[in-house]
Amino acid sequence: MLRIENLHAEIDGKQILNGLTLSVGASEVHAIMGPNGAGKSTLGYVLGGRPGYEVTSGSVVFDGKDLLDMAPDERAAAGLFLGFQYPVEIPGVSNVQFLRTALNAQRRARGEAEISAGDFLRLARAQGEALGVSMDMMKRNVNVGFSGGEKKRNEMVQMGLIDPRLAVLDETDSGLDIDALRIVGDGINRIMRKPDKAVLLITHYQRLLDIVEPDFVHVLAEGRIVRSGGPELAHQLEREGYGAIAA
Amino acid sequence: MSLLELPSNRTEGWRWSDLSALPEIVARQPAGTVPEALPWIGCAREGPRLVFIDGKLAADQSNLGTIEIGSVQANPADHALARLVGSEGWKLKLGQDHAPQGLVQIVHVTTGGADHLPAEIELDVDAQASVVETYIGEGWANRLTSIRLSRGARLMLNRRLLSSAGYVSLNDHAVIGEGASLIVATLSAGGADTRMDGQLTLTGDAAFAEFGGALLARGTQRHDANLAVRHEAVGGMSRQVWRSVADDKATCSVAARVEVARGAQKTDGEQSLKGLLLSRTATINAKPELEIFADDVKCAHGATVGELNRDALFYLASRGVAPQEAKALLTQAFVADAIDRIGEEEVRDAFHENAMAWLGGR
Ligand SMILES: Nc1ncnc2c1ncn2[C@@H]1O[C@H](COP(=O)(O)OP(=O)(O)OP(=O)(O)O)[C@@H](O)[C@H]1O
Ligand SMILES: [Mg+2]
Repeated sequence: MLRIENLHAEIDGKQILNGLTLSVGASEVHAIMGPNGAGKSTLGYVLGGRPGYEVTSGSVVFDGKDLLDMAPDERAAAGLFLGFQYPVEIPGVSNVQFLRTALNAQRRARGEAEISAGDFLRLARAQGEALGVSMDMMKRNVNVGFSGGEKKRNEMVQMGLIDPRLAVLDETDSGLDIDALRIVGDGINRIMRKPDKAVLLITHYQRLLDIVEPDFVHVLAEGRIVRSGGPELAHQLEREGYGAIAA
Repeated sequence: MSLLELPSNRTEGWRWSDLSALPEIVARQPAGTVPEALPWIGCAREGPRLVFIDGKLAADQSNLGTIEIGSVQANPADHALARLVGSEGWKLKLGQDHAPQGLVQIVHVTTGGADHLPAEIELDVDAQASVVETYIGEGWANRLTSIRLSRGARLMLNRRLLSSAGYVSLNDHAVIGEGASLIVATLSAGGADTRMDGQLTLTGDAAFAEFGGALLARGTQRHDANLAVRHEAVGGMSRQVWRSVADDKATCSVAARVEVARGAQKTDGEQSLKGLLLSRTATINAKPELEIFADDVKCAHGATVGELNRDALFYLASRGVAPQEAKALLTQAFVADAIDRIGEEEVRDAFHENAMAWLGGR
């Protein structure tokens, strides 16, 4: 589904990704772990097409198409979802308006009919309920005044509504309390654990991986994948730290 | 109109206006063609509806209700444009406790030439009215409106300047009595240049005045608002909330002034003048001014100019929203502060729709 080959990328002339190679197949969950500053969020942003992140060499193919050739909104319409480590606040735009605009924009891009107001509200309410986000919160401005955990749950409500093919989730577990972690983990499984979907799960902790069990675990350090393995690699990391493994 | 004398940019109060197109418009004959569908706002309680074509009442398309046409008492003072309005215009005069049946709607259609029209709104004790004026067409529409509110009267005056080309100039003089309230909200969302002048005086204790709006400009458009709110009595409150948006080489200018006379204690005045630049070549001028001669007053003012938040643009893009729509949505959110001051839902929604249409969103 996703094939990243020898990816090099820089921000403000500073090289961050240094020949990163990674393949993700349908139905797979890949965990990406690695020390602070290794380039994990950068990988997410490069996949999402954030302005300022310049790919200097390498390729990314998503469902047979050149992902790097697409505008960020086209990538989303093609089925890519980026869960932000720091979700953005948008004063003056309600969650409901934001979500409906996003959903309809993607539908139009795919040549589908727009969703009716009634259907949308039913869908939004259902996703909100599953993730403990009330309709009151849905009516508030996007992420404005939300706690860290609420923002992350809100990201998952968006993912549930948008129903992407590939989700890149950047530390969706950080800032969550124990109960919320369970709710969000279950949400990821419910929305994304399907034969035609895949997940790149960026995390620092085993706790999330106990709920969303990865098929593969990779260690990202200094801008490339330095080690790959099965779920046991995460346990080994938790015991031994990055020092021994990434060295 | 051979006596067209216009102020130059060197004249105080006119430095951001460009009147150079006016002599040519004045020389043109209006075409007289009126669009078939006029922009009426559908509302639960309909009131009088007036259509002015090139400054003249189109009686067959109008339902005057409580409004009269006749000689108007309006004081043009020495304002270069207001002086031109003449004396025949529309009047809304309401006796004590009276109100029109519903929303008063006035559509001004200009068909290529220049038209001038005065108006007078006078509300007696505890009377109230809500008026929406909409400007469409092209040419030059020039207006002078005189407003007098007696004790406890309430007037909501909302305006949409949607003309596609040319110039719209509005001049308001208001005197607001004890406990009376005047709320004026204006949306400039067409292709014409606009100029607004407002002089509001709070003469009664605990009066309330609000004068604000959203100015949207692109190309080489210029919007220019010049306002003065004068507090002469105790416990008055005034709000001036302006949101300016300028793209391309356009210019939006807002000069807003609050004057607090000696003895006008407990005055509460607030000015919020914010600008959004959609291009580096656009210009926004914001000039808040305070002149205070009383000691127990609260006056807050803020003026900021910024650009769209890039992180928010990328966030929207990452959710599939194309750049044009993302920009429109964020710009809409920016001007919402001003439009949301409109109390009636139908009117507010209509103004939001006009803003969104201008911005090219959905
Ligand atoms: N605008 C920038 N200019 C220069 N360097 C930057 C810029 N943005 C990020 N970096 C650097 O890029 C490196 C990778 O950052 P990134 O956010 O991808 O790390 P990360 O692996 O997600 O870390 P964390 O686990 O702390 O979230 C860091 O060293 C960071 O300081
Ligand atoms: Mg990170």
